[in-house]
Amino acid sequence: MPVHAPFATPGTSAEPVDAHRQLDVAAELLALLRDTGTEPRPDAQLEALTLAVAADLPVILWGEPGIGKTAALTQLAASLDLPLTTVIASVHEPSDFSGLPIVGDDPAEQGVPMAPPDWAVRLVRAGRGLLFLDELSTAAPAVQAALLRLVLERRIGSLQLPPEVRIVAAANPRSSAADGWELSPPLANRFVHLQWAHDHEVVVRGLGGTWPRATLPRLSPGGLPQAVDFARRAVCGLLSARPALVHRLPSNEARRGGPWPSPRTWDMTLSLIAFATAAGSSRDVLSALVRGTVGDGPGLELLASLDRMDLPDPETLLADPARAALPERGDLRQAVLDGVVAAVRNRPTRPRWDAAWELLVRALETGAPDLVVVPATTLASLRQDDWDVPASIEKLAGVVSLSRRADRAAARTASAEQARR
Amino acid sequence: MTPRTPGTPGTPAAPVPLDLDKLFAARLHAARVRPYLATALFALHTVESRRVPTMAVDRHWRCYVSPAFVAATPVEELAGVWVHEISHLLRDHHGRGDRVARERGLTGPGERLRMNIAADCEINDDVFGEGLARPEGAVRPQTLGLPAGELMEDYLRQFRLGRHTESMAWLDCGSGADGLEREWDLGPDGAHGLSAQEQDAVRFRVAQGITGRPGDAPQGWQRWAEEAFHPPQAWRELLGAAIRSAASGPGTGQDYTYGRPSRRSAGVPGAVLPSLRRRPPRVTVIIDTSGSVSDAELGSALLEVAAISRSVGGRRDLVSVLSCDAAAGIAHPLCRAEGIPLVGGGGTDLRSGFARALRARPRPDVVVALTDGQTPWPAARPACRTVVGLFPRQHTRRSWREDDPDYVPDSPPAWARTVVIGSSSGPG
Repeated sequence: MPVHAPFATPGTSAEPVDAHRQLDVAAELLALLRDTGTEPRPDAQLEALTLAVAADLPVILWGEPGIGKTAALTQLAASLDLPLTTVIASVHEPSDFSGLPIVGDDPAEQGVPMAPPDWAVRLVRAGRGLLFLDELSTAAPAVQAALLRLVLERRIGSLQLPPEVRIVAAANPRSSAADGWELSPPLANRFVHLQWAHDHEVVVRGLGGTWPRATLPRLSPGGLPQAVDFARRAVCGLLSARPALVHRLPSNEARRGGPWPSPRTWDMTLSLIAFATAAGSSRDVLSALVRGTVGDGPGLELLASLDRMDLPDPETLLADPARAALPERGDLRQAVLDGVVAAVRNRPTRPRWDAAWELLVRALETGAPDLVVVPATTLASLRQDDWDVPASIEKLAGVVSLSRRADRAAARTASAEQARR
Repeated sequence: MTPRTPGTPGTPAAPVPLDLDKLFAARLHAARVRPYLATALFALHTVESRRVPTMAVDRHWRCYVSPAFVAATPVEELAGVWVHEISHLLRDHHGRGDRVARERGLTGPGERLRMNIAADCEINDDVFGEGLARPEGAVRPQTLGLPAGELMEDYLRQFRLGRHTESMAWLDCGSGADGLEREWDLGPDGAHGLSAQEQDAVRFRVAQGITGRPGDAPQGWQRWAEEAFHPPQAWRELLGAAIRSAASGPGTGQDYTYGRPSRRSAGVPGAVLPSLRRRPPRVTVIIDTSGSVSDAELGSALLEVAAISRSVGGRRDLVSVLSCDAAAGIAHPLCRAEGIPLVGGGGTDLRSGFARALRARPRPDVVVALTDGQTPWPAARPACRTVVGLFPRQHTRRSWREDDPDYVPDSPPAWARTVVIGSSSGPG
């Protein structure tokens, strides 16, 4: 803006005093702009970040520049009541992290001490805090090397960071990083990778004056032993059934620099499941954490086996079929019915067989009939010669006609296909 | 999804009750002929709706069904519709539709209708047959005069709404097919929806079922299963990342060194500070093709390599190209335009190309080989970082196996970072 002397344009209201007042007006406008409200809103990615930080695991946030990673960290620090220290990695030199060598009087005798920078000294003196290493991917390789020592060994020069200090790093994805850098597999294996994306609705509403206020998870002190037990059962259950998942290096170029399974990451997953369980987090949050630690494939297998752990136990159902609660969702319901029939096949006795029929009738009365067809056919084939057909089987007549109807449709399709040839 | 009943919904004369038995018999038939889709079919929650023209899905995995449509359609065709609708959800057409809309700036119901048609084309070209009847009037790529076997994103570029799509103007597979909310949608808060994580879990189980027994599923589903959780990335990004990380490794690029004290040292007496040193990387590109690669692909790959090595601090005179005879025709004009020195042709054996590149003094820091892989490789790891840009053979995956099922191409050795250079489009 061109500066013009107030006396150059006589007659206008521009007086020297006004210049001062202008700034006051600007301050007023700024105050109005900053006067925004907040509303509570569940935020899965922030919840995942909070849990990972609470579990004391190094987190790396992957996200395009300018989508609110720093704002999220500020909120997290406030909610955990930790002072936030932000260090922009790309404007520092490696010696700022590994310590500056100070040449003393007699280096040969006393050695050369590595002096830490002031922010590190303050952090150690405070004893607690949240250290945010921003722009990790745009720093020079030597800076990154120094930083990784800080993240993994928690050392800055000769200073050891106290355990109460939590570290979070942020990086831009390879495609948008100017001079791209990627994690080597051993380094990628030490982080919980969280993808950070903006929510269109949240941004529009926030610019309109209302920013979200995430309600962060609170660990309930009562359920800690159960949470640990659940996490151990989940991870051990999967890994004993699928030994190949324990360790698998990323093989293809597209998966490089991302999470992959190893005993270390499974150990991290175990803590994360325990934390998410103790906090009562949703499956979506757990999914982000698990897939960000062991990778998509093994993570999804773990989540699938958790789903199976949630299903009612076939033996319980067979013991009291009258009061059985079957899952509402069709695919889960079918998995339960299949499990019941498999249990009868493993230990076939007359009362168990009858109880299974009762369960199938119940399933038919409370849900879709096509789910019952396959279990009913299998169960019928388990009949032994001296077993009478139970009375309840009458009620399954509809299932038989449904099955026949599908058979007829299949026959018509087959003959139509043949006719076309 | 079929043009059978454009006028029937809303006729108040005789509200037909929803024939659930017929609907579920159709689902049973679908699950029997497509066992790998059973989990997904059973996970759908059905909602009776008189506002839906036929059958439609939303992004929370609910399936809206018109009673009149069920009454008018034979069981075997209903089974086809079930599989068709579940395919929209499994292939994440709503998410992909939203992404395409954002990327290409497509707005309005007309564009969403185009997405629905394109998505239908992607599904219908190989989902029917083998015991599953194709519902009457299902849109196929052939209907629009387009080739089969492509993805929704590709079809979307190839047609406009016009006279030949008029009959599809009422076509509507719901918000699960194109991402646009409908007035009958129950929304995220309605009952029986699947959360994002639950949807992923179902997709994963279906994909596992297909990859576990690959013989049972058609090619289209196998490709989907392979890529369901690892969508192919654009080769430009992968090649760029590979070259950048090779060119900025220790010893090259811009880095700190204690070899010479920093000028900042004067301000901090007693401290020894490192200084920033630049050593721009030397990049040698070896082009080895046996003529099966298109000029356009090779040209764009070569330009990409030059652009990347410039962006990491390489100068033009530090990028050199070593061409084998078949490729000289493309490499020559490009190198002249870019001011890159072109080292004369060599044999068609990639090993001689490597030997020649490594004989140069000073030695290159990075060797990028652009090849179709039909060549012997050097037996030992060369003394520099190696990136291989691999052109798939001109025949696509599909015909490759059919032509010669026993043929196995030499794969690049493990010491090279390999990026497959292919078509740039992919789901996601």
